[in-house]
Formats: sequence, C-alpha cells, structure tokens
Amino acid sequence: MSSRLYEWLDSRLNLKPVQRTLLDEPIPGGASWIYVFGSATLFLFVLQAATGMFLALYYAPTPDHAYDSVRFIETEITLGWFVRGLHHWGASAMVVAIGLHMLQTFLYGAYKSPREVMWMVGVVLFLIVMTFAFTGYLLPWDQTAYWATQIGINMVGTVPLIGDFISRVLRGGEMLGALTLSRFFAIHVLFLPAILIGGIALHLFVLRRVGPAGPWTDDRASLGSETFAPRQVYMDAVVIAGVFLVVATLAFSIPLPLTDKANPSDTSFVPVPEWYFLFYYELLKYVHGPLEPLATWVLPLCVILIMLFWPFIDRNPVRNPIRRPVVLGSGLLFLLVVFGLLGISIKNLYAVPRTDPAVARGKAVYAQFGCVGCHRIHGEGGAVAPDLSLIGETRPDRAWHLKHFRDPQSVSPGSFMPKFPLTDQQLNDLTSYVLTLKRTNEKQG
Amino acid sequence: MSQHGDLDHQPGGGFSTPVGSRRTFFQWVTVAAAAVVGVGLAIPLLSALISPAFTRRRHAWVDVGAADKLPAGQPTQLDHVTTIRDGWLEAKSHKAVWAVKQPQGDVKVFSPICTHLGCGYRWDDTEKKFLCPCHGSSYDMNGQVLGGPAPRPLDTLPSKVEGGRLLVMYKDFKSGLSHSVEL
Repeated sequence: MSSRLYEWLDSRLNLKPVQRTLLDEPIPGGASWIYVFGSATLFLFVLQAATGMFLALYYAPTPDHAYDSVRFIETEITLGWFVRGLHHWGASAMVVAIGLHMLQTFLYGAYKSPREVMWMVGVVLFLIVMTFAFTGYLLPWDQTAYWATQIGINMVGTVPLIGDFISRVLRGGEMLGALTLSRFFAIHVLFLPAILIGGIALHLFVLRRVGPAGPWTDDRASLGSETFAPRQVYMDAVVIAGVFLVVATLAFSIPLPLTDKANPSDTSFVPVPEWYFLFYYELLKYVHGPLEPLATWVLPLCVILIMLFWPFIDRNPVRNPIRRPVVLGSGLLFLLVVFGLLGISIKNLYAVPRTDPAVARGKAVYAQFGCVGCHRIHGEGGAVAPDLSLIGETRPDRAWHLKHFRDPQSVSPGSFMPKFPLTDQQLNDLTSYVLTLKRTNEKQG
Repeated sequence: MSQHGDLDHQPGGGFSTPVGSRRTFFQWVTVAAAAVVGVGLAIPLLSALISPAFTRRRHAWVDVGAADKLPAGQPTQLDHVTTIRDGWLEAKSHKAVWAVKQPQGDVKVFSPICTHLGCGYRWDDTEKKFLCPCHGSSYDMNGQVLGGPAPRPLDTLPSKVEGGRLLVMYKDFKSGLSHSVEL
C-alpha cells in the first residue's frame, strides 16, 4: 500500500481513513477460520454475478431460442460450457456457504441482542438466494426446467384465497410460456441482483454498526482483539480460493447435459429439483389428500417465519452452546429432518438401480432391439406405442412383463408389438429394467 | 478454535495484530489467493467473450442441380436453398448462382453479385454478356470485365461435380475492391 500511485491518490482523496475503516476493524478474540463463511458467500455472489453477465452475452429469454442459445453456449463458445458450469456449481456452493454461515451464527448465538437485525436481514438474503435458484432453474427451457417450474408454481397455487392470483402473476397469465420465461429472466438478472445488493449492503452496514460477535465467552473483558487485516483477510482469501478451486473442478469434470427442449404436451416427464430442494420434494411424497396444503405452504411459511423471528423466540442471552441444550437440540432435530429427507431422496434417486446389474443389461437390451423406435421414456423415443416412463409404477407385475415380452398378444390382445427373439436372460434383464421406470428413477430412464 | 488464546500471536501489546515478517506472509498469501481466483476467472470469461470474434463462417457444399443438364457455353442461373447460421439461429435462404459449363466439360460458378457495389446482375443473351442494371458494369462469359465501373472480374465460387450433381460452396465477397476478399 506504499506505492507512489497510492500516495498520489491518498494526497488527493484522503484514502487512509477509508483504509482504516475497511481493514482495521477490531475482531473480538482475534481472527478465526470459523468466521470465513460470510466472506465465502459474498465471493460466491460475485462469482454468480460475473459468470451470469457473461452467460447473458449469449442467452435469449424466449421459448423459441432459450434452449438453442444455451446449447450454443455449451457447444459453440470457447469455454462456454465451463462458464455455465461455474454458474451452476457456484449456485450450489452458495447454498452450502449460506448454510454453514447460518449454522455458525446459530451455534455461536451470534443472532442474539444486539445483532437481531443482522440475522433478520440475513434470513431475507437467504430467501432471495432461493428465489434466484428457482427463477434460474427455468432459464435453460429444457424439460426439467419447464416441469420443475410448473410444479413449483402449482404449489404456490395451493395457498388459499391469494394462491391462484400469485401463481398467475408468476406465470404472467394462465399458462407457463413466453411471458413466464421473460419475467423469470428479468427477475433473475435485474430485479433480484438489485435487491440482493441492497440487502448485502444493509447486512454489512449493521455488522459495522454492532461489530462482529466474536467467541461465546461471557468474560468479554478478558478478550484481546485483532484487526481484520491481515490475518482474517488472509483466512478469508485462502478459503475463497479453495471454494473457487472446488467449484472450478466440479464445473470442469461434471458435464451438465440439457434434457430435451421443453415440451408442454409431454406430460409424462417427471422432473427432479436441484439437490437443495430435494428434502422438500421428498416431504411432499408423504403428504397427500386434505393434508397436502400443510406441506405445500403452511409448513414452509411457518419455517420461514420462525427463522425470521428466531432472535425474538430464543430470548435467552446466554451464547455458550453447552448452556443452551434445548435450542441446540431443536436446531439439531431440524437438521436431522432436513438431511434425513435429503438422504432418503438421494437414495431413492440413485441407489437402487446401481446395485442391480440386470437393470443396466436390460437397458442395453432395450437399446439393442430398438424399442425406442416406438416407445418413449421421458420424452425420448417414438410415440406410436405406450409411453413407458412410469411403467414400473403403473404395472409393477413382473410375471405380466415376462409373459408380455414372450408374446405381447397373449396378455395384450390386439397389440401390434412384434415377438422379439429374446433369450431367457434377456427377458429377465429387460423386465428388471422396465420395472425401474418409476417416478423416482427417471435419472435412469 | 483459534480465537481462544491464540498461540500464533506475539505476547503483550494488547492488540494481537501480527507485525513484521508474519504480516508480510499473510499479505503475500492473500495476494496469491486473489491471483488464483482472478486468473482462474479471467481466462474462461474472456474466452467466452471474444470467442465469436475468431469463429469463421462455416461454408458447406450445397447441391445446386444436375451438372450434365447444364447447356455448354450458356450461363445458367441456378437457385438453391442454403442454411444460414446466425449464432443459435438457423435460417433457410434462397440463393442463386451463375453456372457456366466450359467446352471441356468442367463448370465455372460465379457469385451472383456484381463486384462494383453489390447489385445482382443478369445474363443478356442477345449481347452475350453479363449486365449489371445498377451502374452498367458488364462482364464476359468468363467473368472478365468488359465495361463499366466494375473494379474486378466476377467472383468465382468453389464448385465440384459429385455423382453427376453440381455442388457449390456459397460465399460473400467485399464489393468495390480490385481484388477478391471473402466476407
């Protein structure tokens, strides 16, 4: 900072007080690796903003061109696939960073007086980020995007009195279409960033007014303190570089294939939400009938309100987690439920087919005999024969399938499906495969 | 957790902000970390930005008709449909080319655009020359300038005959120059 340029600027702009404000903020108890999550989240926001701007160079927010323009980014633009990967994995990393940031704040009791406002602004920022995730998911305009958004908006529609109105506003009318895509795009790239930047500024403003919380000890007087620079800056920088390398590695090594272009008439497609909405997706499977609104909006609303007003619900001034067993226990229970549901969901999605090699062989038989010429699985294949996307659910009877593959007309009179010369092994494998075609197994389809 | 009684710190002095060579080390690592992120982001983002500037238009061979049906020594206008790629857009466009079958049997194909200012020209069968209606440029059957303001002969397009079909690679050229420059 002793460069001549800096001196020259400082003599005119009086920069030293600014530098002191930015870098010499005292941290009670000194710098720590546990304080890095806020900075990591802020970095990830900058990463999303930067990669998003460059994706916007090529993206076209209309149903005619959205899908093709994303494919163009993937295939025609140098490192376009990598920029899109950074944006995709950056979003996931941001959810993780926010989760850890909130967990640290919760564990340290840092939301307590005088930092209630900072916590509340933080919860609003979290909700804005979730809205980013929801609006961004539609933009590639592939089948997953279209149907996941359809479901999300329909869930909003279950709210009594105002639900129908809100879902119409979200869609820009009756149907999910051109108006939905253009408003999701505008919200994602213009409205939300503006709101989020304001919220971040407020969050940091409150931080600077009340100061960092520091460790949970009651003996505040004995705490030394250390300035933000250089050691906390160094820790933040190291973690940020680490986060970037992880996101870049994921973007580099895991391709993000688009599913088929959105097809509103193909109702057989069953979308899977992003992993951070999976726990909720799993929860909805267990709640049916009159209780459904409970899961689609009552529970989420309650959780959001409890989160938002948490500093006023937990009014105990003690910060040491060991002396807050009830609060820590309820926090732990909440996490167990969320991660339990997430675990079950991931298991349902991926575990079963991997364990049975017959399924993979059956899939090969399906390809080998050209079944795809007539049958369709999740939008792929011909439309002259029944859609098999959910056949494992609608017809789970193994014996029926074995008999049907041997002689289709014997169980399905009038069927024009030919008798294929399948060996017993192939019969069994093919049957194992089609039985996996269920709502929760579409990734295998 | 390091904030409880941190051992890294020099004892005494109230504020435990590091000084001297330790301070330099932290600053150095911070700059290195920033450089990793900066370079790691700049490369993909700038590549994505400038990538289209280096993409040449791809030209494909287009079938414009049967080669043996062309009358020898008689310029013929051949219409065809070509696919024009504009970013992620693909549009079909009607294009015409002038084909002249040479006495030896090979075919010479001209761009249908006058080299002067880019008008479309036509073949005048009575005068036996290509005439441009805009400013009166005229060319002979081999594309050489006979008169008018045309600065260079007609532009020839790559062509070949495969399986009796005439294939042409359609291109555009800059007008007004004394030599042929592809767009």
